Amino acid sequence: MKNVLAVFIVLATGLFVVLAWFQSGGGERRQMRSASTPEQAARFLLSEIQDRNFERAYEQLANRSDVDKKTFIREFNGSDGSLLTYASLETFDVWGLRTDAQEASVRARLHYTTAVGPLDDVRDIKLERRGETWKVLWPVNPTPKLPPQVIPVNYLRWDVINPRDGDDWGVQSVDSPQVRIISMNAISRPDSVVLVGEVVNEDSVPAYVNVGATLLDASGAELAQESSFDKISHTLLPKQVSPYRIDFPNLRLERVKKVRMDVKALLESASADPVIEISQQKIETDPLGKQVLSGQLVNESGQVVNIPHVIAAYYDSNGKVIWVSDGYVAQALLPQVPVPFAVDLPAEVAKNVHSYRVVVNHFNTTAQT
Amino acid sequence: MKPGFPILLVMVASLSAWAAEMHAPAQVTAGTSLAIATNGSGRGTFYLIGPAKVSKRDIQMGSQISVDADELERAGRYLAILCASDGCTATNFSVIAAAPNRLSLLVHPSRVPVAMSNGITTVAFVFDNFRNLVLKSAPVEFTILPKDGSELRATRQSEHGVAWVTMTSARKEGITRIGASVGHASEVRVVQQVASDACNLRIKASRVNRELLVETDPVRDCSGNPVPDGTVVSFTMTDMGGKTTVDVPIKRGIAKITMPIKGRARISVASGVVTGNDLEVTGG
Amino acid sequence: MLTFLSGGKQITVETSYLSRPVPLRFIVLLALAIHGPLLALQVPFTTSYDANFHVFFASHYAHHWFDPWNPKWFAGFSQTTYPPLSHQWIALLSYVFGLRMAYLLVQMTAVLLIPVSVYRYARLWVNERASSYASLFSVFLGALTFLVYSAGQLPTTLSAPLYLLAVPYFYDWSRSADVTALLKGLALTLTAGAVHHVTLLFGSILFAFPVLWLAIIDRGEERSSLAVAIRAVAFAILAGIGLGVVLLPYWLAIIRHPIRQMPIYHASRTNLLLNLDYLTNYFFVPYGMLLLAMPFLVWYGARNRRLRPLVLGFWITFLFGLGGTTPVPKWLLGRAFEILTFERFTLSAALMSLPIVGLLAERLVDRYRRTAVVGLALAALVTVILPMAWLALSPFTSSANLNVDPVDAFLNRDGHDRFRYLTLGFGNALSKVSTYTVANSVDGEYNSARLLPEFTHYGTAQLTSAKFFGTAGMEALRMMLRHANHYGLKYIFIHDSYYEPLVSFAGWKKVESYDNGSISTWSKEDVPPARPFPSDAMPTALEGLLWGTLPLGCSILAILFWFLIPDRARLRSDMLLSFPAPDREGALVSEVR
Repeated sequence: MKNVLAVFIVLATGLFVVLAWFQSGGGERRQMRSASTPEQAARFLLSEIQDRNFERAYEQLANRSDVDKKTFIREFNGSDGSLLTYASLETFDVWGLRTDAQEASVRARLHYTTAVGPLDDVRDIKLERRGETWKVLWPVNPTPKLPPQVIPVNYLRWDVINPRDGDDWGVQSVDSPQVRIISMNAISRPDSVVLVGEVVNEDSVPAYVNVGATLLDASGAELAQESSFDKISHTLLPKQVSPYRIDFPNLRLERVKKVRMDVKALLESASADPVIEISQQKIETDPLGKQVLSGQLVNESGQVVNIPHVIAAYYDSNGKVIWVSDGYVAQALLPQVPVPFAVDLPAEVAKNVHSYRVVVNHFNTTAQT
Repeated sequence: MKPGFPILLVMVASLSAWAAEMHAPAQVTAGTSLAIATNGSGRGTFYLIGPAKVSKRDIQMGSQISVDADELERAGRYLAILCASDGCTATNFSVIAAAPNRLSLLVHPSRVPVAMSNGITTVAFVFDNFRNLVLKSAPVEFTILPKDGSELRATRQSEHGVAWVTMTSARKEGITRIGASVGHASEVRVVQQVASDACNLRIKASRVNRELLVETDPVRDCSGNPVPDGTVVSFTMTDMGGKTTVDVPIKRGIAKITMPIKGRARISVASGVVTGNDLEVTGG
Repeated sequence: MLTFLSGGKQITVETSYLSRPVPLRFIVLLALAIHGPLLALQVPFTTSYDANFHVFFASHYAHHWFDPWNPKWFAGFSQTTYPPLSHQWIALLSYVFGLRMAYLLVQMTAVLLIPVSVYRYARLWVNERASSYASLFSVFLGALTFLVYSAGQLPTTLSAPLYLLAVPYFYDWSRSADVTALLKGLALTLTAGAVHHVTLLFGSILFAFPVLWLAIIDRGEERSSLAVAIRAVAFAILAGIGLGVVLLPYWLAIIRHPIRQMPIYHASRTNLLLNLDYLTNYFFVPYGMLLLAMPFLVWYGARNRRLRPLVLGFWITFLFGLGGTTPVPKWLLGRAFEILTFERFTLSAALMSLPIVGLLAERLVDRYRRTAVVGLALAALVTVILPMAWLALSPFTSSANLNVDPVDAFLNRDGHDRFRYLTLGFGNALSKVSTYTVANSVDGEYNSARLLPEFTHYGTAQLTSAKFFGTAGMEALRMMLRHANHYGLKYIFIHDSYYEPLVSFAGWKKVESYDNGSISTWSKEDVPPARPFPSDAMPTALEGLLWGTLPLGCSILAILFWFLIPDRARLRSDMLLSFPAPDREGALVSEVR
């Protein structure tokens, strides 16, 4: 009788631990490791990738002899300073598409957290049965290789020398660049107001540009103030045009009486390199049924572009900007190697799109000083 | 110093103005010394309150108070106060700017498109050696030295220390030096006259291997000036594969790009808000 | 063993050191010898997470004693959201010793109070010798070492011994209506509450309930259990009123702005069994070799009527310390589970286990003599060394040691302090930056004080560590950068290149770099100077006055009571247990020492 409490404590603790283990997915995880269904096998592989156990993930492949381990790891871990090198797989969903006795395919939506925000990737994964378990058949994509070569680069670079702190008033200074908003359109969205448009650098020197806007109500009171943030190419070379988008969440357009636009332009050191070609642009429907603007980016320069950022402006038949969307590209742009991209387009906008224009902004790890 | 202090001193001085006397000239030129005569006897204290400086010293009543030139460098109203055992007395005098000897030259803008009417504004502020604005009218000579032209001169009288001219930028791009001089002072500023928007932007296409080389004619503005290198020219090609766009900076006067082509293609070109000709080409 | 006759009675006295209690003075000196050098070497400032945070709070009190509104974080926040006493003592001592040394002195005081408080607490449950062993082991507690040198939780480590010191007075008052015990107990309770509210809140349940149960067991036949319970309730009411007054600005602050932000991920809330690193960090390291004693602790404690409350209290506290490894904390705490961190409960559980561990040690020493001493000493050493070794081996590294001098120098020159700043990848070195600059930041390390929507709408802690909170963290950072112009956020200091792409795409440009490029300064040129934001969270002048006087006044009162009012002898030695106790009384009477 004296031991009742001790026994109770031990049993209750054990029970609680087991209960919590199941609650926190321990049982599910164990089941998943058995890989007895295609979904479980795909989940197991992706969970290993999520935990960054790339070696163990590689061991789950059915076609290891065809897939280079380093290439496989690079697909998730990134390379050449690409966005995936700044990313980790946060969550994923897997659902079955087709299952036969020996083969199956599943679709996985991978949700990465990255240095610039969330990134989603949808992949169709093939699997084959090996005894009681399923194994993933990883697609074999030969990495395009460029022959070693020297690409001469003699594009312009602009540097700015600013007045020193001790200089007298009235000493020569350099004016800010002339930039101009060439279009602006206020759009009502179900949960927000969005301002879209384009801005041009009219000057003969590069400009740092930021577009801000203040929404005013009928009484002239300020409703909200936002800026284009990363939905603009902040560095504009002479005569370059960039789309911009300013989001005002949780606001209705009916409340807005006036919009005060504010474009800031400052001198900036910049380089005319790299040149990025955007080819095969078309609006299409992706595997999830969403409208996207897709295409390919080709780096025409010799230097690697680590993180490309695509910004697209869409026009109606009158040439008015009706939407701006953007997206970061997960892969780095190696010289002359095409890299696909796709940016979302709301379905209700897509039907009114007559033409579109895409610009590419970029981040390079070596060019930030 | 807080403003209350001189006011208090003035009040004290005016209340006991009969106590001692001193005589200062009504106007002095900045940077010159000054002698103020006093009467009475015994020791006294002399205060000098200027726009940028306050000084205090013990003096012998009845002798002249000499105020050094470096105490009178700033133009404006000065208040001299003399306090002795029997009270204080005060007097005002003005310090005016000395002869013009410095300039502040503001030229706007620092870059201007060619042939812009009244596009350049030049303003000269006339100062003396001690950075006092010279309010007295003085002749300011403006000079304009174009890159490849002869020097132009124009003289304007300053009003309240300011003289200005406006001018139209030249039709030819390049650096122009704009100067102003007064007395021994002269200042020069540089204005960059840059090509205006591209005019008659034209492209041509030729086949290089299996790709299409598209290049512009030399890009010039309507005055015939070459548009600066680095200016972005946008090429857009629409073919069976979709649409291709490239922003290419001008290099050595032209912008060019090679693009793969599928079937018939339409190529257009633009630079900023200026559009050029369209091309219809057929690929392999 | 020495036996002699005194007054016609035969008295047996232990002559072997192994059979006598360890003198408390020796234990305190041992604590000084172990922790003194580590603190003198400023180890918490190089390895701990929160030491700089507490110095930052103290720094504000040192400059603005009666104004708890601190503009340096979150575009302004109220320090009344965190009990001030430990910070105020640091601030007070900093006038003589400087901030860092003052912090170390207050931390040293906490470390020295631990064995004293454990001894007094253990004396409620076990005999003097076992209590002295419990006190001795408290010096080596892994949880203590972990909280001092890894977590840097000064208020927890100071509040816990203060509360343990108060609990025996609560027992004395409840059991025997000793008014001096009531006064001293209340003063200590208020002081503990003014140091750390969470420790007090949970301590009042986890520590006090077993002691109340014990007081009822020990009440004797002449007192009714109802009377004991009524006195306990009276103590609780008085303590509640006292805390209501002493921490009034705190209550007003949380009434005005209850914590409604999105839950922030913390590893101590996860199921530790699913991650070996977390299990090591929050289980093996804090408990160390105490884990070996736990079966005995439960088995023996549960068999003994007087120890049952302690065992039950320990068990619940232990379950709390396991975080999400059992569902119990979530069941009991509800939404509060998502706000609390659970590593602090390992200290409470360890402290509660010590009286019975003292008994175990007594039994082992009696049976195995020197062998047991050597074994126990080794176990104690392993327990204290394990957290220090884990500091070096752990995958969780603190950035406390980062050299932030160039950052402070930048902010303090050329009018850069007219703008707000943000650090990224600085971890807990953010507090160090904030302490020594006059510039203000939009970020901050104290989650409960945040009112800006950029923080409260996302489940993230500091923006400087945004990437560790996944999408929520990076979304919060994006939102803050979007509103940079609104907040006057011009300068960003980056110590982790992970953040460079976002900052670059958002329009900032790198302007300077320090320490061979390990820290870079980024600037956005179109940002207007920062302006102060009016807030309804700003405490009134009266609140500032109360905040600046009452908590410190309580602590001074507690010190005065401690030294000026002598404790009444606690006549309960006949009930105390020794294990085994062949010479029960002789070994328990303190005069025998």
